[in-house]
Amino acid sequence: MLQLTPQTIRIIDVYDDGTHARHFTFEPKSFVHDEAISIGQFFMLTLPGAGLAPFTYTSIPDKAGRFNALIRNVGHLTKQLFSLGKGDILGYNGPFGRGWPVELVNHKEVLIVAGGCGLAPVASAIDYLINNGSSNSVTLLYASFDIPSQVLKKERVRWSSSINLFETLEVGGESDHCGLPTQYLSQLCNEDDGYPDIVLTCGPEPMMMAVAKSCVGLGLKTSDIWMSIERRMRCGVGLCGHCYVANSYACKQGPTYRYDEFMALENKTVAFEKYQGLYQYC
Amino acid sequence: MSRTQVNSICPFCGVGCGIALVASDNNIIAVQPLSKHPISQGKLCAKGWNTPFGISLHGRLTQPLMKVDGRFKVVSWHHALSHIAKSLKQFIKESGPQSVGLISSARATNEDNYAAQKFARAVLKTNNIDHCARICHSPTVAGLKKTLGSGAMTNSIDDVGKADVILVIGADPTENHAIIGGQIMKAKLRGAKLIVVDPRQTRLAKVADLHLQLKIGTNIALLNGLLNIIFDHGWQNDNFITRRCEGYDALKAHVADYTVEKVSEITGIKGADLVKTAKLYSQANAAFLAYGMGITQFVGGTNNVIAVSNLALVCGQIGREGTGINPLRGQNNVQGACDMGCLPNVYPDYQSANDIQVTSKFSHAWQTEVARLPGLTSLGMSHQARHGNFRGLLIFGEDPVVTDPDRNKVAQSMRAMDLLVVIELSMTETAKMADIVLPAASFAEKQGTFTNCERRVQLIHKAVTPPGDAKIDWQILSELANKMGVPELMNWQTSEQVFDEMCQLTDSFSGMSYPRLKQNNGLQWPCNREFPDGSRCLHSTTFPIGRGKLIPVDYVLTDEIPNANYPYWFTTMRLHFHYGCGSMTRKSPLLERETPIGLLFIHPQDALDLGLKNHQGVSVSSRRGCVETRIEISNQVSPGLLSMPYHFKEAPSNFLTNDAMDPITEMPELKVCAVNIIALPENQPPRSSVLNDVGSCND
Amino acid sequence: MIEVNNMLNNKFLINDLDVLKYHLTKCYSVVQIQKDVNGQELWTEQLGDKRPPLFGHDHLPLTSPKGFLFAEKEVLYKFDGETFETILPQVQPKVLFGVQACDLSAIAYQDKFFEHDPYYQKRREHILLVGIDCESPCASGFCVEVDAGPHVKDNTADLVLSRLSVDDTNDSSNWLMIAQTEKGVNSIKDMMLDKADNMHLKERRKMLEKVRSEFVDYSYIRNAIEYLNSNSVPAQLWEELSVRCLGCSGCTNLCPTCSCYSTYEVVDKKTVTPSSISNEVKLEVTQSETIRCWDSCLFEGFQKEASGHNPSQKAGQRVERFWFHKFSDEYLPEFHRYGCVGCGRCEQTCPGSIGVHSVMKRIDQQCCS
Repeated sequence: MLQLTPQTIRIIDVYDDGTHARHFTFEPKSFVHDEAISIGQFFMLTLPGAGLAPFTYTSIPDKAGRFNALIRNVGHLTKQLFSLGKGDILGYNGPFGRGWPVELVNHKEVLIVAGGCGLAPVASAIDYLINNGSSNSVTLLYASFDIPSQVLKKERVRWSSSINLFETLEVGGESDHCGLPTQYLSQLCNEDDGYPDIVLTCGPEPMMMAVAKSCVGLGLKTSDIWMSIERRMRCGVGLCGHCYVANSYACKQGPTYRYDEFMALENKTVAFEKYQGLYQYC
Repeated sequence: MSRTQVNSICPFCGVGCGIALVASDNNIIAVQPLSKHPISQGKLCAKGWNTPFGISLHGRLTQPLMKVDGRFKVVSWHHALSHIAKSLKQFIKESGPQSVGLISSARATNEDNYAAQKFARAVLKTNNIDHCARICHSPTVAGLKKTLGSGAMTNSIDDVGKADVILVIGADPTENHAIIGGQIMKAKLRGAKLIVVDPRQTRLAKVADLHLQLKIGTNIALLNGLLNIIFDHGWQNDNFITRRCEGYDALKAHVADYTVEKVSEITGIKGADLVKTAKLYSQANAAFLAYGMGITQFVGGTNNVIAVSNLALVCGQIGREGTGINPLRGQNNVQGACDMGCLPNVYPDYQSANDIQVTSKFSHAWQTEVARLPGLTSLGMSHQARHGNFRGLLIFGEDPVVTDPDRNKVAQSMRAMDLLVVIELSMTETAKMADIVLPAASFAEKQGTFTNCERRVQLIHKAVTPPGDAKIDWQILSELANKMGVPELMNWQTSEQVFDEMCQLTDSFSGMSYPRLKQNNGLQWPCNREFPDGSRCLHSTTFPIGRGKLIPVDYVLTDEIPNANYPYWFTTMRLHFHYGCGSMTRKSPLLERETPIGLLFIHPQDALDLGLKNHQGVSVSSRRGCVETRIEISNQVSPGLLSMPYHFKEAPSNFLTNDAMDPITEMPELKVCAVNIIALPENQPPRSSVLNDVGSCND
Repeated sequence: MIEVNNMLNNKFLINDLDVLKYHLTKCYSVVQIQKDVNGQELWTEQLGDKRPPLFGHDHLPLTSPKGFLFAEKEVLYKFDGETFETILPQVQPKVLFGVQACDLSAIAYQDKFFEHDPYYQKRREHILLVGIDCESPCASGFCVEVDAGPHVKDNTADLVLSRLSVDDTNDSSNWLMIAQTEKGVNSIKDMMLDKADNMHLKERRKMLEKVRSEFVDYSYIRNAIEYLNSNSVPAQLWEELSVRCLGCSGCTNLCPTCSCYSTYEVVDKKTVTPSSISNEVKLEVTQSETIRCWDSCLFEGFQKEASGHNPSQKAGQRVERFWFHKFSDEYLPEFHRYGCVGCGRCEQTCPGSIGVHSVMKRIDQQCCS
């Protein structure tokens, strides 16, 4: 039987990390994870009185069960969460969902395109790729609105020596780093510098769709692009129905979807509107 | 756990859908639609489906509360009622019976309302009894009384299905009265023509054959213009006018002024559409006319209603199947509250309070002297309170702080009174300001009757017991009468006794009884010797005043129009998912989730001109007050017109609205005023206007 | 006395259902369709009284027995300030007596969907299903088109009742009763029952053919299902239909296979203190419950995220997706049937006239031309 009831976890560290965003470190209060957690899976937090919502592991639980999450203050539940500090307890369920296809990156060139807080779901993948050293190269194209809204500062510093890090800003960037990430894809995917074998993208949905579309335009296959879909969730186990993507559930068959699979799902219904053009960062 | 079911009537709008309450462990856990109910036929709207949340035990008042040193303290019923009785007696002694009064609830039962006006007139000896119809359909009651002799919906809801033309003015019966809205859409699918008159492009306007998107406040110009076109073409129903109306010549001469060109200019509607509408309505075999707040909530509200009546009478679209003048009464029992005489100028069944024969009759029946002096309306009580002349008020199940116009004035009135008692289900904004709060039983916790918009009196049944020490409204009044020293006046044991007493004193209800109501799925008044099984369709042979009166009325400007300081028109509206002040619907997480991010609806062009992004925070202000909220860019409104729903206590649109009154009914002009908007700095969220626990503003 | 062994799919004859009901009341409380004074039919728990079962075509109540298995509202877990505790429902054994084929197919569907849901399964294991074959088509049902009736499908009930004949002389009927599951078998052991034989099964099959032949032509439903599955329905049509969707949630509430839910919190005890870390106040809850309640994908807010992003912003998308969930072949591998069981309740309850018959007719009309 499924366990919908949360376990308890405690906040053991918290600091501001980007506009309206905060870095949390959690620790289980009295349980251990009895299964391995994959890179890119997610968990649900329950705040008594406020409700439950999904969040991604910025770093998956270590031996002591500690894990990190980068969380943005956007709504009712996160507002509550942001009033909590060290030592406060919450409810936790996880891990859920399908993670990043890290088993596919051996000897591959990996391009990661993240927007705003979308950096959080790929952070664990970047750490994995660096630590495992099995991929040929990792390039991160990180797009934000402005400097204050950039997140995971400590992590980016840590990564900068191991990966190609290319940051763009919509506002306040120098001319060669200003604008939307899709403008810079051709720099990173071309005949001279080479094409990535696999692209992982995460951020606001219009951004991911635009990135995927651009990549395909630059010659990549739809089956080489992976995205992490965000949906409203109230259970994490494919029951409540909120996270549907056609006949799949983002909490079970996702949140990681291969681009062609995702488009196939969306195309099962015709009234779906495809995103084009402008989008806003988180 | 075993589940039990009890049939009842939905507590929200005036359609009066049948609903089954499913209870388990003394909790309402679900509702079910009733397929055999004559009106709802197995349907419910989102509000109806979410009834269990609205009356859930969580957040309910369960004990009487008294404000002591600025904080609410739990007290016993004995203590609370004794205090109220003592205070009321003192006010009456010192300042006369005109210094006290009651606001009864249009959501409570007929029995509760009958008890309220009896308490006012027989115990307090005052005619100061009113309720929210004042700010909703009081012009209907007054206007139609003048033109026809009766202020209620003339036909029945199922006449929608028998009409070949449906004209809806100033209402969107897909937001409220959604089941009627559904029937209208169904009629349209079957070939009926639908015409919608509304300054906003509502959902019903979208499906209509013709949408007359008139400039706000120009109803009479439109209606007179239609009449003029009808007379010009000879499209009027001469037969009907000759047999059943009077005042034709004067009306015809009067509307000659309202030429197509002039009306087109005033209303902004194309001449061709005016002609089309006039033709469709007048030439229809059966044309069903429905209207709402877009007709009544103006300083010219009563005249608007008269203009509507003129149109229907001239075209003979009344007194037959599929026709009628059909005001959409908003609340589940606002028709009943009016019928029960909770109005300062009438007793139950609209018997005039100024008529010595009426007062003698009631005096005799109740075995006591009744009130003598004319009574105040709710706005009148408010006004007198601010002047120190009105000292004690009992409010049942209403939240004027959120729903009445000019919020600052309302709050001022509440504070000015010596004693404010609020009887409620939960701690509303108005309750927070009270001196004493008494816990009331909800509709699921009592037996009684509701009267829907088509005059159908229907039984509701008790499904669960009231929480804690909550009591039924009429029980509270009964006990209060006891404390006031006159226990014999309101000595009822059951709601049926209250109902029977009322029936005996009225004509329209004289043929009704609980067993008969149960047998027949309710009965439509008048139900008397002449119409023993109730009346589907009124005025089929004659009007209560004999002939219907055609009364010339003139288009006048709204009290406020935009100027340099307040350059936008502002109007109020409803959303499907919320109801009134939101005290019930906002307890549902599903309905609350439907609340839009932005509450100020603004046309894309206006937003662009002001440089505003969707959902940006703004401050909206009028001559009376100001409110902060976010904008919602929408094509529903037209350029220059802004609109807000009134359900949300954190952004009460009534800070802005105008209480300029219709001179005949004291109906405030809630539908229109002038405002200005200013963008809030980007990172500044709108400030909430919710009061703190004891009714003061959070600063 | 019947032997317990070899009783599965054994068939019996019974001519007084009250005897069966009385026997079942020893272990179960009886829930059956009941008519009230106004002719209203509802699934009602019997408290004492014996009433004849309703059966046949015009007795499909507007509400299904869904709420007895997948509760409209139930507590999932409690919080006491320190830990979370699962609260499983308290249940007593109940027999749902006289469930029609469509509703039984729906229960089988939900059994699969909620296979690992402890709350549903706790209720489910305490329920005995006594199914009844329909004797004629009901007003808006089209179970024949979606393989959900009119006779009770195999393995969807514990006991199946099928009326073979009516004896007008003494106002009684001859019933065939089939025990399809072990639970069904156990519920009737200790009863004195006559055995039925293959001849009676044949009679039942003949009856089935007769009932099937009485259904009106629902070819528009068959056609529309094909159009839906071949993606032939233009987006325009969904836009047109969805204007009439009021978001009342009637369809999803009444649909016996709908299962979406939302959760909400009820806080019983809390303290509010200034937060040490932000301008917000800190809510410290010491007693609360997390409750789940039926939800509807037709609500605009159903997929709305805290950020404001809403993948199904347009009503047309939501309406289309509802029908996709009911008629798409994509769900067949998992459920072996469509989400729609042909009960027609959505048509009855939709105020906007976009229930199954209205929608399928419109699709057929549009795609035919």
